[in-house]
Amino acid sequence: MTTAAIIVAVASFALGALLALLTIPVLVWLERRVAGLVQDRLGPNRTNIGGFRLGGVVQSFADVVKLLLKEEYYPSHIKSGRWLFMLAPVITFVAALLAFMAIPFADTLVINGESLRISALPINYGIFWYMAISSIGVLGVIFGGWLSHNKYSLLGAARAGSMVISYELPLGLSILAFIITYDTIDFNAMVQFQSGTFFGFLPAWGILVQPLAAIILIVSLFAETNRNPFTVAEGESEIVAGFMTEYTAMKFAMYFMGEYVAMNTASAVIITMIFGGYQIPWVSTEMLLENFSVFAFSLMVIIPLIITVLIRWMRKNNRVRPSIKADGGRDFETKVLTIAMVGMTLLVEAILIYLVFLSESSLANSIAVTLFQIVVFVVKLMLFNIFFILIRWSVPRFRYDQVQKLGWYYLLPLALLNIIVTAIVVVGVSL
Amino acid sequence: MSQHTREGSITSDHIKVTKRHGNSFRDKLYLPAIYDGVKVTFKHLFKNLNNINDIETLRYPEEQPTDITQRWRGLHRLTHRADNSIACVACFMCSTACPSNCIFIEATQRQDGKDEKMPASFFIDTLECIFCGYCVEACPCDAIRMDTGIFSLTGNKREDFVMNKEQLLSHKGAFAEEISCARN
Repeated sequence: MTTAAIIVAVASFALGALLALLTIPVLVWLERRVAGLVQDRLGPNRTNIGGFRLGGVVQSFADVVKLLLKEEYYPSHIKSGRWLFMLAPVITFVAALLAFMAIPFADTLVINGESLRISALPINYGIFWYMAISSIGVLGVIFGGWLSHNKYSLLGAARAGSMVISYELPLGLSILAFIITYDTIDFNAMVQFQSGTFFGFLPAWGILVQPLAAIILIVSLFAETNRNPFTVAEGESEIVAGFMTEYTAMKFAMYFMGEYVAMNTASAVIITMIFGGYQIPWVSTEMLLENFSVFAFSLMVIIPLIITVLIRWMRKNNRVRPSIKADGGRDFETKVLTIAMVGMTLLVEAILIYLVFLSESSLANSIAVTLFQIVVFVVKLMLFNIFFILIRWSVPRFRYDQVQKLGWYYLLPLALLNIIVTAIVVVGVSL
Repeated sequence: MSQHTREGSITSDHIKVTKRHGNSFRDKLYLPAIYDGVKVTFKHLFKNLNNINDIETLRYPEEQPTDITQRWRGLHRLTHRADNSIACVACFMCSTACPSNCIFIEATQRQDGKDEKMPASFFIDTLECIFCGYCVEACPCDAIRMDTGIFSLTGNKREDFVMNKEQLLSHKGAFAEEISCARN
């Protein structure tokens, strides 16, 4: 391994870990804020460190501190299985975390003729890795529910088990349809397929090439992440908190964070498989590298525009009503954040100008393209996470026999039909 | 079946048939309904993101509630007479009526000739109090009222919540009738 390969591997591993772990507090905060805004409320916006509230995202860190300092509590009837009781949330959390690691954050970076993958695990069977690891997550739920020695927990675990057999099959079959279409099991190759066009003008995104399989995939992944409308395993109106009933403090937080990591992972998989991954539509990596100056100039125009809109939005919304005298340091925060954003924009502009006019190195260009693709990926990831959250606050929960009915009577036949049609079309095209 | 007796009175145009939803193909697809739902929630999200100060949440504590009515039972107060002396005659009606036994009165002789008795001490344990207002109803002298409009009561220890006579006398009424209507 060359030095460059090691640096890229370490950097992309760090990026994967950060993207999976650092999004947890952001997602928890996002969920609460979006829920508030959807319901015409405010959501948490008060917690701050030295006047910096960043829209309230500091609240999540306060919550973590609270959960860490809580009393460790074990139900007295758990005697010999305590280690498994503690292990159960870890299984759920780690499975969701590991499944995220196969996602490519950018196209392969070519350094001195050596192509390096920008994903935490540089593997070329990403989709199998995802399917294998992510289905382990439900084991943690079942262990936790079983070991709690509690009727509600056991019911929750049973429901989680019944969910698995109803969504796992349509999920696998819809992924099979994508594998047939893309002719690969490598996430990165899937994204490269999607950077092409389809019928000449549409981007070849999975949702346009395989609409039915895309819908089945999204629905199954909603079920896999235990998110609404499929939160049957923890339906609080029926079975308290389901499998989490007996869990407190950090053990509960593990389940809680596992849910958000799973949501993040599911978003990443959906983006990678059906929304073009790290690519912007119609533009492939080669096009970006060949027309680097055009790309850099359009970025130089677009970034200040986006930052201007952001700053105007912040100045309008990061303040109190005119009737309130004390603004709690919001003015100062707005000022500091404005300066920071303008400074960062200027830095990016300077780097782009340097790359276009002064630098001759093609390596610097490809690193810039890689960074741009990472940014695109993160933006798409966050947008899809917001979609997950919006769905949660729009759609009521399915009854759990309805989930099974949906899985077995509708999704499974549709997925099978879709595979047959896909196979016929793929064979017909290749003849 | 008792159809013969009903046939005369109920005709078909009197029967209201409630339309059942969920049987059409569009309803069974479920996705259009989700689309409609997400459209509504997204509209709210976008509207509130655009101008967060439009949300009608009260920004407590910077904004204080303005909709406390006269009849709302806030923290207690002891009223005064016209000459600013205490209106209470220590008749123990309030502490007798109190369902949570949180009023503690000690009576003493009144020297200024206006009445025979007055409280030497008057304690209300607001941690015990259930704010039912029975003491106000029971008082024959209009000496205790709950019209202060005080809704927020905080303290660092339990003793802070036991109101003594001076504290209760110092509370101002939030509405009209500052002095007692029955004793002056």
